[in-house]
Amino acid sequence: MVNQEQLVDAVKKTVSREDVKYVVGYEKGTYGCEVTPSFAHSSEEAEKFIFTPLCVHNLAIYPKLEEKLPLGRDEKEDTRKIGLVVKGCDSRAVVQIIQEKGLKREDVVLIGIPCTGVVNPKKLKSRYPNYAEIVEIEEKDSSFSIKFNEENHTIPKEELLFDACINCEYPNPPIYDILIGEEIKSTNKETYEKVKVVESKSQKEKWAYWEEHFQRCIRCYACRDACPLCYCKECMVDQLDPRWVRRSVNLSENTAWNIMRALHLAGRCVGCSECERVCPMDIPLTELNKKLEKNIMEIYDYIPGISEEAKPLLGTFKPDDPEEFIL
Amino acid sequence: MTVETIQEFEPNIIGFLCNWCSYAGADLAGTSRMQYPPNVKIIRVMCSGRINPMFVVNALQQGADGVLIGGCHPGDCHYQHGNYFTRRRITILKNLLEFLGIEPERVRMTWVSAAEGRKFAEVVEEITEDIRKIGPMKQIRRVNEW
Repeated sequence: MVNQEQLVDAVKKTVSREDVKYVVGYEKGTYGCEVTPSFAHSSEEAEKFIFTPLCVHNLAIYPKLEEKLPLGRDEKEDTRKIGLVVKGCDSRAVVQIIQEKGLKREDVVLIGIPCTGVVNPKKLKSRYPNYAEIVEIEEKDSSFSIKFNEENHTIPKEELLFDACINCEYPNPPIYDILIGEEIKSTNKETYEKVKVVESKSQKEKWAYWEEHFQRCIRCYACRDACPLCYCKECMVDQLDPRWVRRSVNLSENTAWNIMRALHLAGRCVGCSECERVCPMDIPLTELNKKLEKNIMEIYDYIPGISEEAKPLLGTFKPDDPEEFIL
Repeated sequence: MTVETIQEFEPNIIGFLCNWCSYAGADLAGTSRMQYPPNVKIIRVMCSGRINPMFVVNALQQGADGVLIGGCHPGDCHYQHGNYFTRRRITILKNLLEFLGIEPERVRMTWVSAAEGRKFAEVVEEITEDIRKIGPMKQIRRVNEW
C-alpha cells in the first residue's frame, strides 16, 4: 500500500525543482474508482495525485510522446526534465528506452513505486458489469476490499490481478530517483503457464487458436500506441512506400501485422501487458510477447529492461549462437 | 486433399541469397551444369544481414510456400558479421512462426560459400522435397490483391 502523503510530497518536491518541466502521475477519473493519467506543472496541481490498485497505465510512453515544435529564431530548446511516477514494469520500460538511446537518463526524474500488482479492469468488469459505481477499491495483504452499493466485498488478489502481475519477478523499479515506501522482497518466478498451454497444442490446433484471434483483429493499432517501446517516429505499418502490411483488414494482413509487432518487441518487451489491456478485441498479445521472452531467455540468456548499459539483443551477436536449424 | 493433388503440387520457393557467397555458389552450380529443382526463385541481396524478417513474411503472404535464406559461413561475411545478426533474427522468427502454428520448416537458412556449388544444389533439393511434403502455404496466403 502506497502512502498517499509521501507520494504527494515527492511529486511536490520534484515539480518545484527548477529543472523539471512537469510530472506525470495518476489522478481520480471521472467515474467511480477509475484512474486516469494526470500532469502536474506546479506544486498545487500535485495535490490531486493518487496511487490505487487501478493505476494500470504505463506512463513511460509520455516522454517520447511529447511534441517538439520547430524553434523560432531566438528560441532555445526546452531541455528541462520530465517527472514520471513509475511502477516496476514502467521503470523497466524506461531502462529499455535509455538502453536504446531513445532517452537520456538525465531527461527523466523517476518517482518509483514498489508495486504489488494492479487490477485488470477487464476482470473487474466481468465481475461487476457497471463497475464505474464501485466507490472504492482498497488493497489488503492478499485480497482487495471493494465497496459496491454500500456493501463490502473481499476478493482474493489472484482473481483480479493482471496475469503478468501474479508472477511478476520485478515489482521494484530497477532505476529511480525517489522511492515511495520500501522495496518489496519478491520470490515470484515467472512460470509462463499460458504460453506452455499453447505450446503443448499440435500445429493445427495452434493455428486454429491464433486464426480465431487474428480474425477478430480490427487493426486499430491501440496495442502499438499504448506500448512504451513502440516509439518510432514513423511506424513501419504506416509507411506507404514500401508498404509492408496492407491496410485491408483480413486474416493474412492481420497475421502479418501481429508477427511484425511481436518481432519488433523481441528482446525489448518488458511484459507490462499494456497491449493486451487496451486491445478492444481481447487478443492475448501478452502470450506472443511472453513466448518470445521465454525463448530469448532460454537461447540467449537475455532479459530486457534490467541494465542501462546492456547492448540490445538484436544489435549484438555471439559467434557461437545456436544454429541447429541451419542446413 | 487427395493424394493426386499432393503429387501435382510444385512448391514455390523464394531464395534470398547473399551476393558474395551463396549467389556465387548458385552461379557455380549453374556453370558446372549441376541438376537441381527449378522451384527456387532467387533474389540477390548484398548481404544476408539485409534480410528483414518481414521479407520472409511478405513472401509467404504473396505466394511462396517456402523461403530459403543463404549467407556466407560464419566468419566469412564480406561485411564482417552481417550473417550473425541474421542468424539471431531468423531464430526468433522461426520460434514465433512455430508458436503461431505456421510450419517453421518453411523458412530455411543455409551457409553456402562461393565454392560450394554442390552443396547449394543439395540444399535446394532438400528444401524442395521438404516443402513438397508439407504442402502449399495456406495460413497467411493473401486472398485478394487489394
